[in-house]
Amino acid sequence: MRIPTWMMSRIGPVLLFVLFASASALGQDPKLKINNLDKLASKAAEVVDVTLDEPMLKLASKFMAADEGGEDAEALELVKGLKGIYVKSFEFDKEGEYSQADLDAIRSQLTASSWSRMVGVISKREGEISEIYVMTESGGKRILGLAILAAEPKELTVVNIVGPIDIEKLSSLEGKMGIPKMGLEKDKKSKSSSGGQDAKK
Amino acid sequence: MKDLENELRKALEHREPPPGFAERVLARIEPTAAPKPGWREALFAFFRWPRLGWTAALVAVCLLVALGAVHYHRAQRERAEGEAARKQVIEALHLASRKLNVTWKKVQETDRRPPRT
Repeated sequence: MRIPTWMMSRIGPVLLFVLFASASALGQDPKLKINNLDKLASKAAEVVDVTLDEPMLKLASKFMAADEGGEDAEALELVKGLKGIYVKSFEFDKEGEYSQADLDAIRSQLTASSWSRMVGVISKREGEISEIYVMTESGGKRILGLAILAAEPKELTVVNIVGPIDIEKLSSLEGKMGIPKMGLEKDKKSKSSSGGQDAKK
Repeated sequence: MKDLENELRKALEHREPPPGFAERVLARIEPTAAPKPGWREALFAFFRWPRLGWTAALVAVCLLVALGAVHYHRAQRERAEGEAARKQVIEALHLASRKLNVTWKKVQETDRRPPRT
């Protein structure tokens, strides 16, 4: 049976919406809800709050493209195809300014949905959590999102990148923006094994 | 009857005015203001060339200047927003890269640590 064009044009958007809604319902939305951390801003000595959705990223890309061959070129390469970059980072003067509940609100989203923990270190002695989560397509070929959760006694950082991000390139970006490289050897085997060992302590 | 006719003819016969008569009469007449045109005449006069051309040119120039100002203001605002967004992207990527590397480093340190006995 052939579906008339007018019907397709009307059904199309509805189908798209249903698909999008079902993907979100299945936990396929790589955008984290991190606004619960906003309340920490008043207690923090230093705050980095970045909210860049797709239109803003496109606008930024235009200005980065103007800097051809400059340090923006690498960043521009990374930003291509991204749907959003969201960062909340707080540095406090004293310990205990953020609660476990603040962390749990983020971690619950990462553990309950289609995110998988890539690597993670949880040091109860030092009160530190460093975790990297990725969300991939069902085949696991393409990254849909990246989340970095870094918590120290006086610092809390959540990075959420929505879209296909090249983690290797992102990692190598440091040192090219005025920050010296730490000279890390990236041993994928050790990374993955650590991820397995440390996972969900 | 003939006398009446003669008298009339005599009274009505053509006589030349004294020299300068017309000038004197005209000089005595007060110059009167031209009658004020009505709104319709004023409107029609307004839409008559070349006034219409000048008005159109003036309006066009004003429009161009206004459009230019709006465009300039919009471009300036977009530039400021774009620059701010660019800075934010760089800052966010830099922070993400740093945190990523710190996590890698911690993981590697954990791997290298000798197992507890």
